[in-house]
Amino acid sequence: MSAGIQIILLVFLVACALAVSLTKNLFIAVIVFMGYSSIMAVIWLLLESPDLAITEAAVGAGVDSVLFFLTLKKVHYLKGTREG
Amino acid sequence: MREVIAAIFIIIGLIVFLLSIFGIFRFKYVLNRIHAAALGDTLGLGAIVVGLMIMSVNFFAAAKFFLIILFFWLSGPIATHSIAKVEILTNKNYEERVREK
Amino acid sequence: MGEKKSFWKHLKAWVDGEEVILDADKYIVSRSVKEKKNWGGRYSMENIKGNKKLYGFLSVAISVLFIGIMLSVVNDLPEFGNPSNPANNEVMERYLESGIEETGAINFVAGMILDYRAFDTFGESNVLFLAVMCVVLLLKKDKNNYSEKEEAENWEDDYFDENEKRPILKVGGKLLAPLIILYGIYVILNGHLSPGGGFSGGTIIGAGLILYASAYGQKKMQTFFTFRTFTLICVACLLTYCACKSYSFFTGANHVGYEIPKGIPGNILSSGFILPLNICVGLIVACTMYGFYALFTKGDI
Repeated sequence: MSAGIQIILLVFLVACALAVSLTKNLFIAVIVFMGYSSIMAVIWLLLESPDLAITEAAVGAGVDSVLFFLTLKKVHYLKGTREG
Repeated sequence: MREVIAAIFIIIGLIVFLLSIFGIFRFKYVLNRIHAAALGDTLGLGAIVVGLMIMSVNFFAAAKFFLIILFFWLSGPIATHSIAKVEILTNKNYEERVREK
Repeated sequence: MGEKKSFWKHLKAWVDGEEVILDADKYIVSRSVKEKKNWGGRYSMENIKGNKKLYGFLSVAISVLFIGIMLSVVNDLPEFGNPSNPANNEVMERYLESGIEETGAINFVAGMILDYRAFDTFGESNVLFLAVMCVVLLLKKDKNNYSEKEEAENWEDDYFDENEKRPILKVGGKLLAPLIILYGIYVILNGHLSPGGGFSGGTIIGAGLILYASAYGQKKMQTFFTFRTFTLICVACLLTYCACKSYSFFTGANHVGYEIPKGIPGNILSSGFILPLNICVGLIVACTMYGFYALFTKGDI
């Protein structure tokens, strides 16, 4: 049971990694990267290392994406905000 | 008996999550999709955590689950409101807002 | 530039970029352009970049070469998960058998990263501090890094924040930020008893600060968290960490002669230096995360 869930999660992980590098839209790339981090946190939890899971969920899915969005806003990439 | 009630709650939650994911993919306009996503965040997660609360071993575990529900029911609607506000403020395309084009 | 300056003032002006070269025009005219030496002849980078086919071929060839080197090195490594590897028997057995006795921490990971491998963690904290210092160098607003346009945009943002009629985000931030920060403090203080520790707890505190700052704006944040507090907390925590670990460095790696009281494993006040080190790392990480956010949004902490 647990092995099946892990295989599904790993397939999702590879799909997310490919999608991040293949997509042209940077906004979508950041969102998919958030999903990658969340899946990675669940995998760390299944591998019995909750320390890393907490850090991955807080850094990867939380603070990192905020910083990415701020960078996109700084370079006027986001549609609708000012002349971007 | 306890297991049956908990299972019913968890299955309700999973069905709500399924509906919310279906809605995110089916709807086209942002506000409709936000509605579907927020449904999963509040009702689906609430039902699942209530099911886990019934299954929990002692009072303190149930209290922790209650804190999780409290946190999500405070933070989820606020996040949804912020996204909706930004959409209303920045999207000037009338056709897309009214006729979902 | 008529008056005579002291050497240090000259140096300071030169570092700040205010020093003007006397008779700059003459200097520029008299300066001769250095002749570019064409070392590679027709094999220089410009020629290769111009030739699309050769460029593509060379890039693929170099990548394949590197992949080959890496794969051949990986082939020589000991097999992953082999039970006779030293990492799988000696080190792990030592940690599992005498970890609690030697470090006093129930959470083995905290005992590992803050006692056996404490210098690693010190380096990581220094890397974080250096990263935020680089961002300060690049993005902090001062008289050399100032543009009217950005100022107008920031003013516009502040105007919209202040004239917000529906205070949903503000009420939510007021309710949630203290809870998030409290949870972060719990994760840091329980780092040696349960999963968590300095890095995760510090990030959670930083997320709470970011939520508060995004709800209430920079001005409200600056009433209790300025650039001065930021540098004070970071430097004080790094120095405390350095002092704590150099204690065990000077007295011998195994705390020979000066045994720190370990306490009873399981109590909150136990396991020697792990608790203060956790607090130091947590404060550094929290300040760094909030510092990144503040510098990226407004260019000032």
